[in-house]
Amino acid sequence: MLKKEKAPPEVAENAPVTVAALEAVFETCYDFESRDLHIGGDASNKARLCFLDGLVSGSDVAEQVIRPLTDPDRFAGVRGSQAIARLLGGSVYVYTAKCRETLGDLSADLLNGFCALIFDAERRAVTFEVKSPQRRGVDAPKEEKVVKGAKDAFVETMKINTTLVRRKLRNPHLKIREFPLGQRARTSAVLVYIDGFTNPELVAEASRRLEKIDVEGALTSAVIEENIVDRHRSPFPQVISTERTDKFCMNLLEGRVGMLVDGLPLGFLVPGTFSQFMKVPEDHSGHFIVASALTLLRYLSVALTLLAPAFYVAVAMYHQEMIPTRLLQSMIEAHASVPFPTAVEVVLMLLAFELLQEAGIRLPSPIGETVSIIGALIVGQSAVEASVVSPVVVVVVALAGIAGYTMPNIDMGSALRLCRFLLVLAAIFLGMFGVAMGCALIVYHLSSLESFGVPYMSPFAGSEGRHQSRALLRKSMTVKRDREPELKTGDGGEAKL
Amino acid sequence: MKKAILLTLALALALTGCSKGLTIFSNYRRIENIELVRAFTADAREDGVLVSIYGTAGEENDARMVEKSGPSLGTAMGELLMMPLGREAILSHTENMLIGEDMARSRLNECLDYVERYSETRLDIGLLIVRGSSARDLLKGLSGSDPSAADVIAGLANHLDRVGEGTVFTCREVAVSLLENGVALVQCVRGVEEEKLFDARGDLNIEPAGFAVVTEDGQTLEFLTGEETLGSLLLLSRLRSKNLDLTVEDAVFTVSLEELKTAYEPVFDGDGALTKMKVRIAAGAKLVSLRGVADVTEKACREAVERALSERLKAAAQAAVARSQALGLDFLDLHGVTARKHPGKLAALGRDWSEIFPALPVEVEVEGALRRTFDIMDSPEIAEKEEMTPWEKLTESLKDN
Repeated sequence: MLKKEKAPPEVAENAPVTVAALEAVFETCYDFESRDLHIGGDASNKARLCFLDGLVSGSDVAEQVIRPLTDPDRFAGVRGSQAIARLLGGSVYVYTAKCRETLGDLSADLLNGFCALIFDAERRAVTFEVKSPQRRGVDAPKEEKVVKGAKDAFVETMKINTTLVRRKLRNPHLKIREFPLGQRARTSAVLVYIDGFTNPELVAEASRRLEKIDVEGALTSAVIEENIVDRHRSPFPQVISTERTDKFCMNLLEGRVGMLVDGLPLGFLVPGTFSQFMKVPEDHSGHFIVASALTLLRYLSVALTLLAPAFYVAVAMYHQEMIPTRLLQSMIEAHASVPFPTAVEVVLMLLAFELLQEAGIRLPSPIGETVSIIGALIVGQSAVEASVVSPVVVVVVALAGIAGYTMPNIDMGSALRLCRFLLVLAAIFLGMFGVAMGCALIVYHLSSLESFGVPYMSPFAGSEGRHQSRALLRKSMTVKRDREPELKTGDGGEAKL
Repeated sequence: MKKAILLTLALALALTGCSKGLTIFSNYRRIENIELVRAFTADAREDGVLVSIYGTAGEENDARMVEKSGPSLGTAMGELLMMPLGREAILSHTENMLIGEDMARSRLNECLDYVERYSETRLDIGLLIVRGSSARDLLKGLSGSDPSAADVIAGLANHLDRVGEGTVFTCREVAVSLLENGVALVQCVRGVEEEKLFDARGDLNIEPAGFAVVTEDGQTLEFLTGEETLGSLLLLSRLRSKNLDLTVEDAVFTVSLEELKTAYEPVFDGDGALTKMKVRIAAGAKLVSLRGVADVTEKACREAVERALSERLKAAAQAAVARSQALGLDFLDLHGVTARKHPGKLAALGRDWSEIFPALPVEVEVEGALRRTFDIMDSPEIAEKEEMTPWEKLTESLKDN
């Protein structure tokens, strides 16, 4: 029988700083290090240096803290509060130094890559920022690639991310407000917006929702997304997530509010509307006519990926009169040797397609690609040759699948896949009436969604008519365009982005 | 959202009904069990109607023809569709309906009625009357492996428009014409053993045989051929193209009609009486071939060809008008033209159209224009004239009207 482990001591946030109290907090922590330092080389004048190994840079601690602190020329005879004042005054070579009087603040600093010098008698500590440089460097985006565009993507380190944003938006009104997330993990999150331009109500609402997040730790994107959206049960994404810094900054310039979370290589943007999920960063780097045509193609893809299998099922099972004679003849002939009814055939193919996709994603990259190719070519062809499915069904399901891959946002693609299944089921039982009703329900659901007070289907619904073309077409960069009125930006006028 | 789901589900159920099987919608058919009826025939028999359907399932090679007789078209067709054929025959892809001459003479309305009322049949099914044999015999004679009988008939229907030998009116067009004018034209065909238009492998081929003039009561069945057919197509604006041989002096010009515009102008006198109907036809043509010696770049030669073209078309139009008036049947829809142009004046005439129409003077004017000769000396630049051509003048005047 396992012996019940002693519960870790709760950190009394306002407890005074002592070495014993801090060591109690980090008791049994393998990476917690502490040692006595002789200030000015005087063995009778001691202070305790504490840090979490790995979070701090050992050489920085040695060179920038220990070396000047133990130098008799600098600190000989300097004790207690006098030493603290000197440390804060810049007698050591660290750019950030903070005086901490409570155990909570001290613990938070240690967890954020600071080292602490504790003066037990004073019940105070001075912390220095000496973060370890061991972090992933800025790399090109892995998912949202563009040919003509910036090649920097967010990383897991918050400071790097905020730096990337600051470099792109050199504006003193760019505000970055911090919110600690998680009762235990205390993950750092920041709200990014342009003060005086972004709708203050939107900023206030985003702040309120971030503060309200009540979780153990914010270690995944779903923690943010599901906790701040208006309708978390909807499968459709309501928060724009991006790994691209340029897309993040462009949305800030349009009047959206951004969020960055330490440990997540993503930026989140609100409000998220349907039309925003149809845009790709390439839209702003390619020619505006081409970009507009490709946007229209993506909207066509939405219709294809949603409706192609359902439409096929409906017409093949119930409405054969809608099929041109020659095509129907081919379909009848192709289906003659297939033992399954159309409904079973299509559902099987859709499931097989989803399995292949899931296998391709989960497996390591080279194997995943091989599985996809083998699945698509060999399994598909074999299924047709073995008369398990008819070629038309393979074409329809593949067409729907490929159209789904054009979705710029993976969450939107997943939501459409889910709806595709539901529409197929509606078509199986109710034919074209079911497809029509299913579409009506989807439109109803989308139209009833709001993201931070902005209608999800704007500018198609709940917005002024003259802005509808904005979602479908991109104007030339030489032409000033109207801002999105739903965002209620400070200037509210024209933009030239 | 729950309310919306329940509401749409209820609506869908109300629209689709409930079947006994797995599916809710009662219209379910397994696609592999379907047989497409591409064409069907109806022939009058002493004891009723003989119906034949020409159906395919998949490849045309599998096409087959089955027939059934019954006291009426509906009962015969019903029994035929319910026969244990192993497949479910559907009429939604039927392109043409062939009816025998006897059937057309006595029971045409029954055919139109069936097409209109049966939920699967489309109103744009082409209606053809078979002359010289029964419709069933023609369809059977056409049945070969490649192309199929249905394709041969469909090919003829498309071909007619292009060569100016006729036009296939749909069941909807015939029914509307019967309702509005009490008379309609129906394309006639006949089976031939020689001069196959297509590389058909059946025993027979099919060729156009003019128009049948059918009336609402089914009592009248007259036939138009030759110039009357051409004139009818011209006056009904259904002529897309036609090659005509025109003899001018010693040369024979074969011209192809390209553009045709027909304009009607009912003329009323001061008392509101309809005195005559002016019909103006603008016909543009291109020279296809020339037999003999002639200089088509000369103005005089061109004008002679244009005169010959005008006279030929005028004669055809007048023949159609004369036949229509002789029968007392307004199959050229002059009543409709008058009603559309002057509804008030027509209503004020105070006389029935059947009394006015037979004696109505119809003045036909045709302006033929030879537009392209394809002569090396007659390039568009050379042929360009400063003043308007007769064709352009006529087009402009038609626009004004």
